[in-house]
Amino acid sequence: MSDISPDTHSDETAAAEPLTPAPAPVSNAAQQRQRASQLAQALRVELGKALIGQQAVIDDVLTALLAGGHVLIEGVPGLGKTLLVRALARCFGGEFARIQFTPDLMPSDVTGHAVYDLQSEQFKLRKGPVFTNLLLADEINRAPAKTQAALLEVMQERQVTLEGRALAVPLPFMVLATQNPIEQEGTYPLPEAELDRFMLKLRMEYPQQDEELNMVRQVTRSPRADMLEVSPLRTLLQAKDVAALQKIAADLPIDEQVLDYAVRLARATRSWPGLAIGAGPRASIALVRGARARALLRGGDFVVPDDVKGCALAVLRHRVRLAPELDIEGLAVDQVLRQLLDQVPAPRL
Amino acid sequence: MRLTDASVAIRPRTAWEALDLGVLLARRHAGLLIASWALLSLPVFALLCLLLWDHPGWALFAFWWLKPAFERLPLYILSRSLFAEPPTLGQAMRALPGVLRPQLLASLTWRRLSLTRSFDLPVLQLEGLSGQARAQRLVVLGQRETRFATWLTVVGVHVEMALWLGLGSLFYMLLPAQLELDWNWQRLLEAAEGDWLWLEHLSNLVYVLPLMLWEPVYVACGFTLYLNRRTALEAWDIELVFRRLRQRLTGSAYALLLGLGLSLTLLPMAPPALAESSEVIAPEAPRLLKQPLTSEASRQSIEALLDAPPFEHRETLTRWRLGDDQEQASESDPETAKNWLERLLQLRDGWQHLGTLALIFEALLWAAVLALIGLLLWRYRQWLHLFASRLRPPSPVRRDAPTQLFGLDVAPERLPDDIAAEAERLWREQPRAALGLLYRALLSRLLHQHHLPLTSAHTEGEVLEQVAQFKRDDLNAFSQILTRHWQAAAYGNRLPPQNACADLCAGWRQLFPAGAAR
Repeated sequence: MSDISPDTHSDETAAAEPLTPAPAPVSNAAQQRQRASQLAQALRVELGKALIGQQAVIDDVLTALLAGGHVLIEGVPGLGKTLLVRALARCFGGEFARIQFTPDLMPSDVTGHAVYDLQSEQFKLRKGPVFTNLLLADEINRAPAKTQAALLEVMQERQVTLEGRALAVPLPFMVLATQNPIEQEGTYPLPEAELDRFMLKLRMEYPQQDEELNMVRQVTRSPRADMLEVSPLRTLLQAKDVAALQKIAADLPIDEQVLDYAVRLARATRSWPGLAIGAGPRASIALVRGARARALLRGGDFVVPDDVKGCALAVLRHRVRLAPELDIEGLAVDQVLRQLLDQVPAPRL
Repeated sequence: MRLTDASVAIRPRTAWEALDLGVLLARRHAGLLIASWALLSLPVFALLCLLLWDHPGWALFAFWWLKPAFERLPLYILSRSLFAEPPTLGQAMRALPGVLRPQLLASLTWRRLSLTRSFDLPVLQLEGLSGQARAQRLVVLGQRETRFATWLTVVGVHVEMALWLGLGSLFYMLLPAQLELDWNWQRLLEAAEGDWLWLEHLSNLVYVLPLMLWEPVYVACGFTLYLNRRTALEAWDIELVFRRLRQRLTGSAYALLLGLGLSLTLLPMAPPALAESSEVIAPEAPRLLKQPLTSEASRQSIEALLDAPPFEHRETLTRWRLGDDQEQASESDPETAKNWLERLLQLRDGWQHLGTLALIFEALLWAAVLALIGLLLWRYRQWLHLFASRLRPPSPVRRDAPTQLFGLDVAPERLPDDIAAEAERLWREQPRAALGLLYRALLSRLLHQHHLPLTSAHTEGEVLEQVAQFKRDDLNAFSQILTRHWQAAAYGNRLPPQNACADLCAGWRQLFPAGAAR
């Protein structure tokens, strides 16, 4: 396993200490966990400096990062979706690539293609922007379905097949896609298969009044016209640190009852009267992964039902489809899912 | 006025037919009527417009108010043309002052809003009565036709409106599209405050022009209604028939009269002869009684014939009756009064049986309704469960707190009396059970003592959030510590330190003294 290089964050965080791998005495593992949690907390604070007033969204993005999942961020323009991803890339020492999805974007623009080299007189593979650690798919629903489908393989299997050869993308690999819910003209809704590959779908809401006040104060102090500065953020972790964090999160103990609760939640969506289509098994998996990541983020040593319930909405909302009659009545998916969460009994021993 | 000279066929008609006749009449003299109307009303309208240029609304109102005055001329033309040649336009205009004179003030004041205006006009204008006689005449004439005259006016109002709006929209549609594709109404309103008077006068003109067509029809219809009423009242049609008869028979009438006189002088001789013969033919005459077919027998056979179909139609009805009905019938006294009473009783009994039947049906129907409601509730139970539970206002006090929550037994009866002592005892052997007991007891107290609306879907964290709403620091702190230990034991499988027990039990005793009500 990896060490976190001390030079990247020689500050007050305890994460600066080396993280030793799992096969160690229990106390050692607990210590590791504590450091990992502190590192995650530091990252959280750092992102909070860039993106003001969206703490819940930052938590969810970090959850996805720790759980090794992909994130789809939805929100009206101007809430800082892209800013959040750029800030994350800034705090993260690995590679970062950005694809601006446009209607004329081709699949090969995402994955890469073979080009003929005149000097060597042979085809050479040119890797696309997808070969990176952190991929920002900006306004993903502006590209047609064939381009969106180019992401299917890499998101699930972490590999790209080019010219018949399967090429692995560097790990950790995380896709952060943004989309705008109100604009419908010239957009292509994501297909279900693509949606299912995103572990979380986050909704960005407007910030609270005092937070917005704070944000406006800070932004107007900046010399650049309308952008929040992300350059002063410190690089807190490297690619291997992320892998270590993911390993620690995956090793967090989870009780059978909590596991059962996650599965029951996912299964309840399939027979729920207000939902036309329920969530698949990927939802149960994502619920448990997300719960583990949240437990680590919280600084806990084990997973409690609150962790599952906390990420249930983000995990489930893009995997279910509302029954048409409720759609007509104007109910949102979130409302129906909240009702579901209100009704499924939480585990007690 | 000579009825034989009338240019229309005079006969009693229904009122609607009479109105139809009016339309025909107006059509026959359409040119003259329209020209005379236009010649009279348009200059008046122009004058009004000039006088009231700044108040187009008032101009239109004045014109509308003067309508009865304009209606006199068409009526004059119609009445003249009914029994003679129609007057020329010049003659009509020359007659105008004479026509206007009678009752003009009344027409323009208290009779202006009368709904039977066109029907009353002939009485006022043509009959030349005055005072009491005129009022009586109006009452007599209006006895039956008022309804139709009113309808005529009501329809007329609608026709005027339709023509006005129709012509207005036609003008609007004729605007070139380039001129103004969609109106900016607000700007129009602003503009209306400015110099848009000519547009309103144009709109007034659009009202005045269709009247040239409609008003003659209206007057003519009223006139024919009036004629029809008089035909019925004064028997004009019969008079007409007699007149024709006289014309035809003037020559032969004397001969006929002579013949009639002769026949009358001969008639008185006949009756005695008839009386004599009647004695002989009478059915009781012995000659007839002695014949093989006597009149007696013939009467009987006639009666038998009359008694059988097709003169009589008899049928036998067989139906079931209840036994006591018949008993009562047999017991019934021949006396008519009592008989009548019995029948009444029978009738009441019959109603009672019918009532039982009705009661059964009512019960069946109610059962069906209840079953239907039950079926619907059952069919949509999941929906109701889901959405009704959201709609229901959150009840602050939970009377029937569940005994089994979260798989834990939280009924107060099931918990030991002294929780802290029991927990301390359990701690030595089964610390986990002791923690479970404490947490269970906490939930129970929250449910029953603090009436916290907890459901099985709440997680430990959500319970803590609800506890925080009480803003009781001691309870809050204790709940947090206990929940942390409990979660560690339940989900993390790690036991709390030994000294935690003493702290928790002390905290419990402090929060919930032993004597406190459950």
